[in-house]
Amino acid sequence: MSLLDNHLLTLIVAVPFGGALALIFFPSDRPRAIHYFARAVGLLTLLLSVYTFATYWSKDGGFQFRESYPWLEGLGIGWKVAVDGITVPLILLTGVVLPAGIFMSWNVKHRPKDFFVLLMLLVTGVLGVFVSLDLFFLFFFYELAVLPMYLLIGVWGSSSDFGTFIRTKEYGAMKLVLYLVAGSVLVWVALVAMWVEAGMVSFDLEVLEKASFSPGFQRLFFPLVMVGFGVLAGLWPFHTWSPDGHVAAPTAVSMLHAGVLMKLGAYGILRVGMVLLPQGAQDWMPVLIVFGTINVVYGAISAMGQRDLKYVVGYSSVSHMGYVLMGLATLEPLGVSGAVLQMFSHGIMTALFFALVGVIYDRTHVRDITVLEGLSKRMGVTGAFFVVAGLTSLGLPGLSGFVAEILVFIGTFRTYPLLGVLGVIGAAITAVYILRLMAKVFFGPLGDRWKGLPDAARIETGAMAVLVFFLVLVGLMPWPLLRLIDVDVATLLQRIAGA
Amino acid sequence: MEVLNASPGWMTLAWLAPAVCAAAFLAIVAFRRVLPREGAYISVLAIAFGFVLFWLVLVDFLGWDFSERGAFSRAITWLRVDDTRLTWGILIDPLTVVMLGLVTFVALLVQVYSLGYMAHEPRFGWYFAVHSLFAAAMLGLVLADNFLFLYIMWELVGLCSYLLIGFYYERRSAAEAAKKAFITTRIGDVGLLIGIIFLFRETGTFEMSAIFHAAEAGELSKGLLLAAALLIFLGAMGKSAQFPLHVWLPDAMEGPTPVSALIHAATMVVAGVYLVARAYPLFLAAPPALLIVAVIGLVTALLAATMALVMTDLKRVLAYSTVAHLGFMMLALGAGGFTAGIFHLLTHGFSKALVFLGAGSVSHGTGGKTDIREMGGLRHRMPITFLTFSIGALALGGVAPLSGFFSKDEVLQAVLGGRSPVFFIAALVVAFLSGLYMARVWFLVFFGPLKNENAHAHEAPWVMALPLLALAFLGATAGLLAIPWGGSYKGLGSFLYHGQPEVAHFNPALMVASMALALGAFGVGYLVYGRGAISPARLRERFQWLHRLVANKYYMDEVYQWCINRIVLAFSNLLALFDRLVVNDVGVNGTARSVVMSGYKLRLHVTGKLYNYALVMVLGVILVALLWWVAVPRP
Repeated sequence: MSLLDNHLLTLIVAVPFGGALALIFFPSDRPRAIHYFARAVGLLTLLLSVYTFATYWSKDGGFQFRESYPWLEGLGIGWKVAVDGITVPLILLTGVVLPAGIFMSWNVKHRPKDFFVLLMLLVTGVLGVFVSLDLFFLFFFYELAVLPMYLLIGVWGSSSDFGTFIRTKEYGAMKLVLYLVAGSVLVWVALVAMWVEAGMVSFDLEVLEKASFSPGFQRLFFPLVMVGFGVLAGLWPFHTWSPDGHVAAPTAVSMLHAGVLMKLGAYGILRVGMVLLPQGAQDWMPVLIVFGTINVVYGAISAMGQRDLKYVVGYSSVSHMGYVLMGLATLEPLGVSGAVLQMFSHGIMTALFFALVGVIYDRTHVRDITVLEGLSKRMGVTGAFFVVAGLTSLGLPGLSGFVAEILVFIGTFRTYPLLGVLGVIGAAITAVYILRLMAKVFFGPLGDRWKGLPDAARIETGAMAVLVFFLVLVGLMPWPLLRLIDVDVATLLQRIAGA
Repeated sequence: MEVLNASPGWMTLAWLAPAVCAAAFLAIVAFRRVLPREGAYISVLAIAFGFVLFWLVLVDFLGWDFSERGAFSRAITWLRVDDTRLTWGILIDPLTVVMLGLVTFVALLVQVYSLGYMAHEPRFGWYFAVHSLFAAAMLGLVLADNFLFLYIMWELVGLCSYLLIGFYYERRSAAEAAKKAFITTRIGDVGLLIGIIFLFRETGTFEMSAIFHAAEAGELSKGLLLAAALLIFLGAMGKSAQFPLHVWLPDAMEGPTPVSALIHAATMVVAGVYLVARAYPLFLAAPPALLIVAVIGLVTALLAATMALVMTDLKRVLAYSTVAHLGFMMLALGAGGFTAGIFHLLTHGFSKALVFLGAGSVSHGTGGKTDIREMGGLRHRMPITFLTFSIGALALGGVAPLSGFFSKDEVLQAVLGGRSPVFFIAALVVAFLSGLYMARVWFLVFFGPLKNENAHAHEAPWVMALPLLALAFLGATAGLLAIPWGGSYKGLGSFLYHGQPEVAHFNPALMVASMALALGAFGVGYLVYGRGAISPARLRERFQWLHRLVANKYYMDEVYQWCINRIVLAFSNLLALFDRLVVNDVGVNGTARSVVMSGYKLRLHVTGKLYNYALVMVLGVILVALLWWVAVPRP
């Protein structure tokens, strides 16, 4: 097992990448084989991520599973990977959402090979960001996680047409990619600046951490990191790529993007911004928390005014990412731990939401909530899962959303009480739009159009049930995850405070 | 004198009551298809276990010297983050014991009743599963020793209410009612959450005893205490349907009748009253908050009692009656009457559950009728229902020697002693009205001529009748708790009190007055609705505008709906539009378009004409030479 342990992280990144490479050589006219192979890769990733979690659990915390191979020594770039208590839950999240997304794509009939190749490249990028300790590779994988989106949305996505409001998938794809790349340009500038300022010696995170940058430098470059990564995290007002992009994207892509990729942005702020530029972080966090609170309230109110079911979920994502940003910005143990837990909880929840919307759209070919009515009568399982997801989003105790949100709230109240009040009000607004949505779409008498609707297919029910399982599990027993998160958050905050 | 039970036995196991019910919920959800009667018996057994455990805990508690040792408590750590510990814990004091008894007993009876009432329902098993979850959450709520634990149970109780109100979810009205209940109580819950987090921020803990200690020791600022008390009361207002958050309770009647009896009469809705009682030290330390409690309670009681008088749906009448009595309890607490408020909670719990189940029996026996104008003369066809309903109605109206008389008397005493005469007079009006509206339905439903379509109305089966009889027994005798029987028991105030035990003292003048009021109310009721000596139709004619105002619930629902449509929804549509048009189309698309535009303009510099390029090259060389001359330092 120690051979596995020694190369675990490289393996985790290599599996989806290898899967993508292998798929390229598959014949395009064997869809069944392609689907089965993709599912196998997904399950293998899940297995590896669970193994990582379980093995990390038995260790003492801090960075584990280190691997270090020099590459471009002159520039200070090397393949350096490790994970700590903050990263491991996120890897588990990826491992859970990926196979769920692949299984939910069971009815992708148009060029499935290309679809899965791009999807796996996407996941390679995500996992690469999480494990990288070298900023160059972190950025490389960050880009890798964005670019396949253009093709995935542009080719396999769907357009929205409500008469006065038309959003083509091409528009959604273009906007998402350009916007995210623009954000990453800001990040790249900051990364290179840090590399130069530290003597052009190394891109290694731990080395750069020890280089203490001047307060002026930090104050100048932290906002670049904050906004650059924040774009991907859906930071207001740089969030409009998210509803349009996720709505246009096919189900699995929305699940992965809203569920996992958006967390890369928050992770970047945490891992790169807060660790390397602690003084800058302390100076700029008041701004971040204000915008994060705007995310929560603005996103929730906007969600209430949407007519397209998928747009409601899209804005709900923007709103809930606000809790992550708020929690990070408190620079307070409960707040930051809550933020990381919310990354996990929201990831699963939003993946479930997009999966459910995908099922509904697939059966009804409609996403207009003024037309959908009483669906629970025919789609009982879908309705029940939607209720679970909805209750998670409004923070009902017993589901994972509550634990994350209460920690964020306590942390926010300790540091910025007024914004804490707004955050709690945001949770109440969430209750309003979610309950309205459920009452309209799922309950009440069955609309005449929907008399013969089939429920979710067994494969879909299975994939979604796994997501529901995690929402309930973490809701009832959050301490395994929290224990991991808490230790490393405390270490991280101590370093920031000491700076 | 030997010390009984020096160390607690059953009290340490009190947590089993909610745990067993929670386990029953999981078992029923998982194994519904294979269990007998879809697991309903598991649910009943679980709550029966809880009831037995209550008696054991009571015996154990009586051997625990509360006045010396304070409350009994135990806790375990749930989450530890940094140096903050969040715990699960139980706290047992007289208030807990009273609530445990009420919840387990009424829940058991309602579940047994439901075996008969819901027998033909397609989702029978799910109904009992949610009942078990509700019992678990409600028991957890009354046992909780810290505010976070209480908040968690509070939300879960609300969830069960949502699921059960919306049980018949295919009905649009039921789906809307469930949504309305959840959203209205959520507004209150926001207050509760903010309040307890503020307290946590100051004291570093959610534990009630620690917080109360700090409050009583003067360690918390006046401003914080007032804010926390008011915010906590906001939560109580939502759950206990106090004005202006009362609008969800009448609509909650969309749920099955046993649900209305248990959740919306006896247990969940009293959680707000319980919370105020539990947090009494905070309210006592912030007197303005206590005044607000009394005022809101009074306003609620008056408004609801007037509305109960004109409703034509039996369950609606009882719902408004519940709101009024909840207001009455809040008034008692707000006047310093801790014991009185809880005593009334107890007697009301038994009597109201009784009349709700009775209403269910009437509906069951008449093939689904709920409109009192379609009833009449049913006492001949349903003797047991009639007998038990009568006891409940008379108890609620406050007729001696039933339980309601004693508790109402204690409330009036507390209000008389604790607040200005205005409150007392208004309380008397409420007491009179509660007699009057109960008399109205009593006479209209059970007396008078039997209508032809009700000729085949039948009595309830024994599985429904037995709970009626049990509740009737308690509704009749629970008042005896108020009497000082001797020894160390000097009335309920010597067992259940805040601060100092009270000795029961009876104010004969007040008792005579309240008895007269109750009898007077029933007398008037008899004249108007029984004999028809004063015609209700003529009264309605004379006071048409008043009747219309009250019958339309003072147009409060219309006002709320208008606010929601014109303000909330309008604003959200506006914001959604703003996001699309301003933030996106102007900000994002606009930026993109300006880049494209500048590209269009810029490409024009590639003219294709050599002399243009030559000019630019020459100019460029001159520019570089100039820059070099200016910027590069010379030796």
